[in-house]
Amino acid sequence: MRALDIAATGMSAQQMRVEVISNNLANMSTTGYSPRRADFADLHYQQMTRAGAINAADGTVVPAGVQLGLGVRPAAVTVTFEQGSLAQTGGDLDIAIEGRGYLEVTLPSGASGYTRDGALRRTGDGLIVTADGYEVTPGITIPDDARQIAINADGEVYAYFAGQVEPELLGQFTLVGFSNDQGLEAIGSNLFLETAASGPPLQAQPGEDGLGTLRQGYVENSSVDAVREITELIEAQRGYELNAKVITAADQMLGATTQVR
Amino acid sequence: MENAGYVTLTRQSGLMREMQVVAHNIANLSTTGFRAEGVIFAEHVRATGRGEDSLSMATAAGHSVSPAQGTLRATGGTFDFAIEGDGFFLVQTPQGEALTRAGSFIRSDQGELVTPDGHRLLDAGGAPVFVPATAASVMLADDGTLSADGQPLTQIGLWQPVDPTELSRRAGVLFEAPSGVAPAPPARLLQGVLEQSNVDPVGQIARMIEVQRAYELGQSFLDAEDNRLREFLRTAGSRG
Repeated sequence: MRALDIAATGMSAQQMRVEVISNNLANMSTTGYSPRRADFADLHYQQMTRAGAINAADGTVVPAGVQLGLGVRPAAVTVTFEQGSLAQTGGDLDIAIEGRGYLEVTLPSGASGYTRDGALRRTGDGLIVTADGYEVTPGITIPDDARQIAINADGEVYAYFAGQVEPELLGQFTLVGFSNDQGLEAIGSNLFLETAASGPPLQAQPGEDGLGTLRQGYVENSSVDAVREITELIEAQRGYELNAKVITAADQMLGATTQVR
Repeated sequence: MENAGYVTLTRQSGLMREMQVVAHNIANLSTTGFRAEGVIFAEHVRATGRGEDSLSMATAAGHSVSPAQGTLRATGGTFDFAIEGDGFFLVQTPQGEALTRAGSFIRSDQGELVTPDGHRLLDAGGAPVFVPATAASVMLADDGTLSADGQPLTQIGLWQPVDPTELSRRAGVLFEAPSGVAPAPPARLLQGVLEQSNVDPVGQIARMIEVQRAYELGQSFLDAEDNRLREFLRTAGSRG
């Protein structure tokens, strides 16, 4: 009885949807988090009577045939890159990206990681790093005696010193864009890695090549929409129940079969 | 001779198939752009011999694809397109061109719009759709014109099978049209929206209950038929 197996694919698809939703809800307050969405596709078709076959009885061509579907499979978990709202923090080293793009960081392995989480810190040596301590590329060091740090929309980092009217340019942040953001590999801690599917990183100054600009004193909130997620959750739950109903019905049909003398 | 049981069996196996179709529809409740399907039963008439009544059996002769518009859901995705009205997107697959209503596209590393399975979307002229990675904003107009930063790139084409009756399904929410495809009459295209599965859960559950009951009815008929035979053999046997 294939209906049982088919309904089982449906149940596991809905369960996966619930898992994706719960990860989104768990990251409702994660800086720079973009919600994921599970996409499904139909699994496979069994050709019982091929469309276009010749009808044995009178030689006419069968127009539609009989194709029996075998359920559903997950096709992709896509990330919806929507701009999250900006929260004012007032921090010197909190920068939000308005628009597309990622900050590049150097991971302990030496590889590059990409993040939208702009809640930055400085190390004891004055180097600008992420909250997890990864160096932001290009490395910018803030001198100990700097009174104030200003970062403009183009990513230029200035330091003000006591007794000096003009600020001093310390360096400039660059942003990185990808042809296919969906192809990036998420490794947790708000970090992404480049893959063959994402295309190579395209580095540019903020505001150029379609990339966003920087805003100092703000962080980007998670763009999870709780209402949308809850609606999806209810739908997934009902979908799960409907598939369970099919299993019950198919089982009762099987039961009826076995009870025939 | 005793054909009642066999006629019932054709109905039973047809119902099993229909149950499979209902299960498949319900399993695809959340599949973007999925179109619900149905089974068409036909009478299969068989002559039993000169002067005798012919036999009529049920057979699943064809399948139908529901043309109903699926619900539209706003997702906000730049490359999430939905068709409001008739027509399909045309995609290029290794097995040839295919039609689909699932408008969840992704920009590949080459900058081309592809389905989650990696099949290229084709425009109104049948060429792949290319969107530069440096585009800050990509907009889709109602008529399918795709533009990046205000500059028109191409027009997303809407297509339909030349012969609408012969849409054949393929895994991955794809349809094939053996006689080829032709441009479809204009429909509205929407950006940031996805067409959900057009499966109507209430209708499917009602059909499922119907199938289940019809199946049980068939079983009790088989039971009764079995009893009748048994009774006949018992009485006939005791007289002999």
